[in-house]
Amino acid sequence: MARNEFAETLYDSYGQRFAIDEVCFESRTEVQHLLIFHNAKFGRVMALDGVVQTTQRDEFYYHEMLAHVPLFAHGQPRRVLIIGGGDGGLLREVVKHRSVEHVTKVEIDAAVVEMAKTWFPDHSRGAFDDPRFHLVIADGAEFVRTTEDPWDVIMIDSTDPIGPGEVLFSNDFYRQCQRILAPGGIMVTQNGVPFMQLDEVRKSARAFRDLFADWHFYGVAVPTYIGGMMTLGWATEDAGLRQLPLEVLEERFASAEIDTRYYTPAIHRGAFALPRFVEEAIGK
Amino acid sequence: MTDLRGGGSLPADSTLAVHPALGGRETDWHALVRTHGSPLLVLDCDIIRRQYRKLAQALPDVSLYYAIKALPNRAVIATLAEEGCGFDIATNGEVAMLEQLFIEPRRTIHTHPIKRDLDIRTALRYGCTTFVVDNVDELEKFIPYRHRVALLVRVSFPNPSARVDLSRKFGCAADDVPALLKEADALGIHVKGLSFHVGSQVADAGMHVYAIRRCTELLRLPRPDAVAPMSVIDIGGGFPVNYDGSIEDIDAFCAPIRTALAELPSNVRVLAEPGRYIAAPAMTCVTSVVGRARRGERMWYYLDDGVYNSFSGQIYDHTRYPLIALDAQGESRPSVLAGPTCDSIDVIAEDILIGEMQIGDLIVAPMMGAYTAATATTFNSLPRARVLTLAAPASLDVDDSNVVRLA
Repeated sequence: MARNEFAETLYDSYGQRFAIDEVCFESRTEVQHLLIFHNAKFGRVMALDGVVQTTQRDEFYYHEMLAHVPLFAHGQPRRVLIIGGGDGGLLREVVKHRSVEHVTKVEIDAAVVEMAKTWFPDHSRGAFDDPRFHLVIADGAEFVRTTEDPWDVIMIDSTDPIGPGEVLFSNDFYRQCQRILAPGGIMVTQNGVPFMQLDEVRKSARAFRDLFADWHFYGVAVPTYIGGMMTLGWATEDAGLRQLPLEVLEERFASAEIDTRYYTPAIHRGAFALPRFVEEAIGK
Repeated sequence: MTDLRGGGSLPADSTLAVHPALGGRETDWHALVRTHGSPLLVLDCDIIRRQYRKLAQALPDVSLYYAIKALPNRAVIATLAEEGCGFDIATNGEVAMLEQLFIEPRRTIHTHPIKRDLDIRTALRYGCTTFVVDNVDELEKFIPYRHRVALLVRVSFPNPSARVDLSRKFGCAADDVPALLKEADALGIHVKGLSFHVGSQVADAGMHVYAIRRCTELLRLPRPDAVAPMSVIDIGGGFPVNYDGSIEDIDAFCAPIRTALAELPSNVRVLAEPGRYIAAPAMTCVTSVVGRARRGERMWYYLDDGVYNSFSGQIYDHTRYPLIALDAQGESRPSVLAGPTCDSIDVIAEDILIGEMQIGDLIVAPMMGAYTAATATTFNSLPRARVLTLAAPASLDVDDSNVVRLA
């Protein structure tokens, strides 16, 4: 049966639908169902197990905010670790920073990277060929448990908490990340849409509280992550890093000479202001 | 003693061409067996369509979800998907079947009252977000997924008159429903409605009507802390077919149900889970005499299909099927039809009156779609009957070697 519509199945009582112009790629394995199709509004759309993961046209909201907020807050990031993020969009933003000398991306499935190069070339825009980039095909949880290298910024670009990415939301995983953060290092995480799934941000807050001297969340409203603003987790030992004056961020942004479409220093500052119901959920 | 039609050459009143359960299709059973071997289960997708449409017409405004367990068959599912039917799933294997056929997960409900965490996750990852619970332990399994799912609470209405009483093993007593709803509200889990199963193959709709009325009362109970008001009632299955081969009057059966449903609050959407009603008439078993013996007064005929295979419904589903001795000749006399395994329980019919049959003669058994192939075993290392499919939907790819396209 030809499909001309994709209905996301993340929630029972609410959901988004996409007209399918063309199915580009589909694979079904024992563990997951991957569908890539073209939609007039969003370009190529990738759905995993019925849930939209990324689209060609709105991915910059998420990737710019997950990358540039910790990188500009850090000031001199040299070593960056990306867990997940197989599509390469996050990597593309990270390698824009000249101070970065080394990026390791840990991906559980090599096929995801190849698939992304084929179907989402704009996500990585050649970043997979950057000489500073190292690809490790491994379980992210296992990697952080065994690596002894220090990291200035760790970015957790996970999928939904149901499925293979689930360990990337566990307390033990965060503990290992804290262990391998360099002094002044920052961890950022994908934490769901609080209006729809307040439990996720609540659970992460509980884990961060026990592990990090300073932690918080910041927001970005990605069109295809429906239900309003999504929260990104922020954890570090240096409480000053999320209080940087706007002038400092503007100076860093200007001297970095990085083109962005979503990120601005003012959005960076404002993103840490959370709605009251989210503050309450995280106990602040 | 059962008097079999077909005691001799075909009697005029039961010619196979007009046998109602065979959908009026002319079928040359001998030719089928010559080409495809024996035993066979011949599935006619046109009968699946007919049954779906008849029930949909008898229950307008009710969304039908085919209970896959009755006959988990790709052609049946594809046919019903084309008709607009939804699907009632209970296991991960059933989820896998629907996934392979690209069935839109929004058209499915998961109705097993008892699930492992893995079952919930498998269904959720497929995209099914409606589940059924009947107790607090089961409810608590949904705490991690509470923002994604909506539940139906299964209410039990014991029904001793049903062939298969489905309210003994599962279901929350109606009087206990308010407490369970309160628990769900406290946990922030959305219960969107109630479901019940009065049993399979029920004699009349009396219990449906009673259950609908009781559920209507429960739906109207005030729930100040509810996540949302209840808006769904799932009236289960139970819609009967006539195993004597005569056409059932489903419209008359459903008339009291329609009356009872009219009293529901206007926001309530009604679902039903027919399985047997859709599948039973759609499949016909063809089995051959492979041996015969005179034992005392009786002729014993040994067939290549029996209660461990397609006739497993005689054991598990407590059902007897119409048997037509296609080639029997001469005077009817008490006979025994036995299956092919070494077990003495493997007897399909005792003391039936049929004429004499020879090795190679055929027995045709209509009404063998529901809970037959679904529960067949391979005991004695005997293969299951081959399924031949008639009038399969064009969209179905024929990659399954057990599906042979005849028409």
